[in-house]
Amino acid sequence: MLLQIAEPGQSKVVEACKPRVVGIDLGTTNSLVAHVADASPVVISGEGGPLVPSVVNYGPDGVVVVGRLAVARALEAPRDTLASVKRLIGRGMADLAAIRGLLPYELEGDDRAVHITVAGGKKVSPVEVSAEVLRELKRRAESSLDGPIEGAVITVPAYFDDAQRQATRDAGRLAGLEVMRLLAEPTAAALAYGLDRGTAGTYAVYDLGGGTFDISVLKLVDGVFEVKATGGDSALGGDDIDRVIAGAVIPALDKAPRKVIGAAVAEARRVKELLTTASETMFSIPPSVSETYAVKKVVTRGDLQTWAQPLLERTAKACRRVLKDAELTKDQLDGVILVGGSTRSPIVRDFVRDLFGKPPLADLDPEQVVALGAAVQADVLAGGRKDVTLLDVVPLSLGIELMGGVVEKLIHRNTTIPTGATQTFTTYADNQTGFDIHVLQGERETADACRSLARFTLRGVPPMIAGMGRVEITFLIDADGLLKVMAKELTTGVEASIQVKPSYGLSDEEVEKMLVDSFEYAEEDLERRNLAVERVEAERILAATRQAFATDTELLDADVRAAGEAAMTKLAEAARGADYLAIRHAIEGLDLATKPFAQKRMNRAIAAQFEGVALDDAARKVGA
Amino acid sequence: MASPSTSSEAFSLLGLAPSYEIDLSALEKAFFERSKELHPDRYASAPAAERVVALTKARALNDAYQTLKKPVPRAEYLLSRAGVTIGANERLDPEFLMEILELREALAVARQAGKLAEVERMQGEMAARRTAVLAKLPALFTANDLAAIKTQLIVLRYLDRYLEECDAALGED
Repeated sequence: MLLQIAEPGQSKVVEACKPRVVGIDLGTTNSLVAHVADASPVVISGEGGPLVPSVVNYGPDGVVVVGRLAVARALEAPRDTLASVKRLIGRGMADLAAIRGLLPYELEGDDRAVHITVAGGKKVSPVEVSAEVLRELKRRAESSLDGPIEGAVITVPAYFDDAQRQATRDAGRLAGLEVMRLLAEPTAAALAYGLDRGTAGTYAVYDLGGGTFDISVLKLVDGVFEVKATGGDSALGGDDIDRVIAGAVIPALDKAPRKVIGAAVAEARRVKELLTTASETMFSIPPSVSETYAVKKVVTRGDLQTWAQPLLERTAKACRRVLKDAELTKDQLDGVILVGGSTRSPIVRDFVRDLFGKPPLADLDPEQVVALGAAVQADVLAGGRKDVTLLDVVPLSLGIELMGGVVEKLIHRNTTIPTGATQTFTTYADNQTGFDIHVLQGERETADACRSLARFTLRGVPPMIAGMGRVEITFLIDADGLLKVMAKELTTGVEASIQVKPSYGLSDEEVEKMLVDSFEYAEEDLERRNLAVERVEAERILAATRQAFATDTELLDADVRAAGEAAMTKLAEAARGADYLAIRHAIEGLDLATKPFAQKRMNRAIAAQFEGVALDDAARKVGA
Repeated sequence: MASPSTSSEAFSLLGLAPSYEIDLSALEKAFFERSKELHPDRYASAPAAERVVALTKARALNDAYQTLKKPVPRAEYLLSRAGVTIGANERLDPEFLMEILELREALAVARQAGKLAEVERMQGEMAARRTAVLAKLPALFTANDLAAIKTQLIVLRYLDRYLEECDAALGED
């Protein structure tokens, strides 16, 4: 098309006008951020690759470290290093009874929310911890895209309820992100597949992440992505497989000290990941971690299969229900798409193949596909892309409590949003002047088995005999899935309404205060964080250099050694100071001083890899 | 269930002539085409007034599609358009009520005893019966026999209630 040929530099101007928006996959284990560049989504990579481990370490000095650096501290400071908080977000103590015992850190709280006490007696909520992860992703995106991020689509498990969604939304707000939409993870994955592969037809998306399981059935036709049904288990994932492995190898693990649990679960994860390619491997807890719990045991893929089977059966049950809701049989599906790190396992893949009777699709990276789809939706909402229409559904039924504690559902699960429903109810007592309206979410028949979303009262109804007063209740859901409930007494016209904002322990005011605090301390925080990051990096480099000097002495020329030693002393000195820029410069200085040595080591390592081919060359270079 | 107030023009919203027997693929196609135009995401950065209009229209479209795509809501909707509503306490053939009562008791007994295979058999039988009742509807609509349609729709409510109980029994861990 001739018209689209632009003058050099002109496209840059257009780019600059486009709002900078991103898609974020806030995962249980790893998180990542993507954006749309030149009409296709790409993942934004940073140090250590595109994945940021969803791990946050709180240091005794009040410094917060996120990602790989935090993971490195998990073993020495298990109580201050928080992983898998996605399993806790929007949940209360009662919801978490099953997993509490096997977390390496301690939970406190009530039935609405939990918090964790970390270094220095600081109490943090899962919302704040998630916000730290989001902040890290935001920083990453801003440095890559060279400017502030104006909006983000954050993905959540399709089966997250309203409290979990609200908590995630608040975490985004705390991180200083304008949350444009919360998007269901399997839907995001389908978006990415549909656009990248031109996939069309009816597909199931099987999404087994670190801590959540989702199954969705979608129809993809000509730019329209219609969610037909969705379901899952928001407390089932790869983490559980790790715990099952750890528990199977070490009996009574839940009675072990936290540190041992942390080490055992980490070891189980390593074993599980190795069994993706190997048929057997060694599970070992060395006596240095614990004399009592030290163990060395061979684990085979067969063992893993046996242990994981009950968990996989739970996913099968959810799959059957979703197919039933979509009024489809598995033969009517055109394919099954795999999403989530846990679907890398051949055990999971075989299980899915047998369940659906067809080989699953995994040609897009199952760990990146959700972020890519979220970036596409962000682009759509920012007005960039116009050929994509997403028809999402409510994942869980919504209703109100009637006399006797039973639930009347007004909007059933898997109804396309936006939607609405109206129903009329009558008074049950003589001279009743108010109606209590209790809004509930869930599939169960009784109010106490569903999740309570909101309560409000319609007042000012004139006294009438029972059954005469008639109240019309209207539920309205917008495209964000947010619910508004209105009540109107029909004989008098008295009205009341509420924008349902499920509470999960943090009130609006509390979130607001955290937000203000984070602005006030933002600069100071950044300073302290940079310092902590550089110090950790300095320690790492100093240790690595000392180690290399000791082992590869023969590659070290006298002048390089002298320059290196001097640079190390300088770096150690800088690391004791409080100027992070000085540390960064000293790191660069050490790099420069040891470059000839590093070159030699590199050459030798390469030579070793191509043994026989380039050995002569390598030998010449090192001067042997 | 969609409320009649929002889906009063369900057929015209989707460009179809009011009829019980409809071309489902044409319905879906029309729904997708209109969704592309009306979906609120398309108006995310539009002025507030436009957003409200789009939201209202999209809601009505979704509710209309929800009402028309499945046979029972579609039939109930056609009936309500003809001025016939189904109340909470409709009279039915006592023999049918007795039979349903007995079937539900048998289901409760099987559920209590944990005989899931038995529940599945009952579920299968009832699903077949439901299909048979649904199969009567096209002829009744052609004959415009509103009273008979109403009776069959009430029967279907009982059958669906029974099938829900089967689901609940099978869904228990």
